[in-house]
Amino acid sequence: MKDFDVCIIGSGAGGGPVALTLAEAGYSVLVLEKGPWFTEKDFFKDELACCRRTVYTPQLKDEQHVLEEYNGQNDDGSYKWRAEASSDSGSDFWNGNCVGGSSNFMSGYFYRLKPKDFRLRSEFGEIKGANVVDWPIDYEAMEPYYTKAETVVGISGKIIPHPYQEPRSTADFPYPPTTEHPVSGLIDKACRELNMHPLPTPRAVLSRPKDDRRSCEYSGFCGSYGCSSGAKGSSRAALLNDAIKTGNCKIQPHAKVYRLSSDQTGRVSSADYYDKDGNTQSVRAKIFVVACQAIETSRLLLVSTGPKHPNGLANNSGQVGKNLLFSAGGSGTGEFTYKQFDTRLAEAMKQRGPFVNRGLQDWYFINDKEFGAPAKGGVIDFLFRHPNAISKANGEKWDDSGKLLWGKPLKDKLKTVFAETKYLRFEVFNDWLPTDDCFVSLDNSVKDKWGSPVAKIRLGYHDHDLKVGHYLAEKSEQVLKQMNASNIRSSVSGAPPPNLVAGGCRFGNDPATSVLNADCQAHDADNLYVTDGSFMPTGGSVPYTWTIYANAFRVADIIKKRL
Amino acid sequence: MRKQLTKKILHQWDNTIPDGLEDRIKIRQSRRGFLKATSLLAASLLLPACDNVNNTSSTKTANSTLLTQAPWQTFTAVQNHLFPKDSESPGADDINATLYLKSVLEIPGIEDADKKFLRDGIGWINGIAIQMFNNSFHELDKNNKEAVLIRIASSSAGENWLSLLLLYIFEALLTDPVYGGNPDGIGWQWLEHKPGFPSPTKDKRYHLLR
Repeated sequence: MKDFDVCIIGSGAGGGPVALTLAEAGYSVLVLEKGPWFTEKDFFKDELACCRRTVYTPQLKDEQHVLEEYNGQNDDGSYKWRAEASSDSGSDFWNGNCVGGSSNFMSGYFYRLKPKDFRLRSEFGEIKGANVVDWPIDYEAMEPYYTKAETVVGISGKIIPHPYQEPRSTADFPYPPTTEHPVSGLIDKACRELNMHPLPTPRAVLSRPKDDRRSCEYSGFCGSYGCSSGAKGSSRAALLNDAIKTGNCKIQPHAKVYRLSSDQTGRVSSADYYDKDGNTQSVRAKIFVVACQAIETSRLLLVSTGPKHPNGLANNSGQVGKNLLFSAGGSGTGEFTYKQFDTRLAEAMKQRGPFVNRGLQDWYFINDKEFGAPAKGGVIDFLFRHPNAISKANGEKWDDSGKLLWGKPLKDKLKTVFAETKYLRFEVFNDWLPTDDCFVSLDNSVKDKWGSPVAKIRLGYHDHDLKVGHYLAEKSEQVLKQMNASNIRSSVSGAPPPNLVAGGCRFGNDPATSVLNADCQAHDADNLYVTDGSFMPTGGSVPYTWTIYANAFRVADIIKKRL
Repeated sequence: MRKQLTKKILHQWDNTIPDGLEDRIKIRQSRRGFLKATSLLAASLLLPACDNVNNTSSTKTANSTLLTQAPWQTFTAVQNHLFPKDSESPGADDINATLYLKSVLEIPGIEDADKKFLRDGIGWINGIAIQMFNNSFHELDKNNKEAVLIRIASSSAGENWLSLLLLYIFEALLTDPVYGGNPDGIGWQWLEHKPGFPSPTKDKRYHLLR
């Protein structure tokens, strides 16, 4: 058994900043990653590998989840839930199990939270049925680390003053925006005509080379794909490669941690894992950092019982797994035919490669009597329909009444969709309120291939999330209408996007209602930290990754001082 | 980007939900019961013998000969009916749809139950063809083939089977040519689709990566 200063479980956005910071400071760091280790040389624009086969995630027969979905009400008004194993339903809740985690496959829409996001309860009061609380830290504590991530991860963008711009310690981003598509100008024009404030979307994508990483090469296939140029700011490309160069950091792929053992004092004593050959191994360290993405982090803690942790590690208040968060909201689409543009604009619209990079934050906070009392709103982002061709074709094989098409009618429809139409989409991101109906527990019967109970996820949501989502979707549709798009439609639902997940080990000052303290250290296990998105008590209304990076850099500094 | 819940078990639930169309989501959900329907359909038919796809002697046969043998001659006939060639666009034969499907069935990548479902369908479709027209599917004329497919599509299991065949036709049409379909990018050219880069190399195809 080897000893390390720090053992990190999980190599994604929560693990990378800790590994880099502590390895640079001279401490010995081991990163245990369940999945394989791919590099830029393994990433191609291959729709089968990316999105249609199981390459970056486990086979469901080997590792899965049990999902509990709302299934009506009992006579007393309580909710009924139907549990189904994902190997039965086919529902895949994995995101990216490989070195760098799902940050390899993100689109890299990077937004900071705003000061009010750190104190939603104080700002907007209680919402019945939701467990909204203030954070134990404020925006000022996080700001330096948001700034650090901009430089270290490499975030491109441009600051344009607007009513809800959050405070910054630097004037602008260290990298200029990535190249933009001609449609961005059309979005700007429509938004301004509607008195809205279109904003360039910051991206964790390099617009200029950085060290060994090349600039974006604009292939047009970004989200869901591993990046072959190194431009995307994944934990692997942006942080772990540099951590390894220090000589102090070791990455161990194919290492599935099945238990964190703890001693009579309650401290974590070892991380126990299965190696590639299925043999058990153990690692000792002074400090253990868990960052397996929210669901698997809660699962690992729950399964890791010990003398002082009879209900699971750091779970003496029964809070582990509770208040799981996704991102609420939805998406919508409008259509343009190339014929509606003059030849030059039509050719411009056909371009593939440059980014749309436009968003709206005009309703980050809603002050509208028609909506009701002042409330937390969210963010709107514009993007093209995903360029994946197979899934696009496959989505067109049904007619409007849901009947399967084939032969000439099918081929005519494909030609129209692919060659004559451009689809501009929007996505709405708003807070997924924490509730008692969204949490992780251990399933009693379904186990993974190593015999460990899988995570059971209850997927309840709060109706307020839909109200906000619909409000924002309606605003987004106005923009598409102003642009003369046709066939505009949107969908807002309580269906959780599996890639936008946080919570489950929320931080707070009261051990009775939180798992971690303000330092993201477990209340009842002195040498245990959690640095993925699990710590978030409320999620904000933006994708989580920048906040996860920033917080992990913050906690890394805390651990560094302690070591 | 908001990721939608993907459905990896294809024989059980079609994996594509067009965005923004909630009524279609309901249609998909109603397909959940199709496994039951599958067993009912199978029981309602006299299943003719179906050659095992893994028959090694047939894999050694020249491709052109292979496509005239069971079960490939039936797959070829169904695929060409679902995706016919015309003067402006490639058909199933032009995109190597049958050989592509054969490779999908032979290499790891999709669930074994999906593979079995695909193979079993050959027995069902020929059973129905014989029931309706007293002949195997590939022997029927265009109108009778259409009648058989319409009949098949009227059950949720049958519709799901055709839907899966269409999915692998789309893969053969639009995936990178390194996988055997879409020769010289013929599908991309027809649909004016610009593929991304870099494209996968032979030694880094998906089943060799993990």
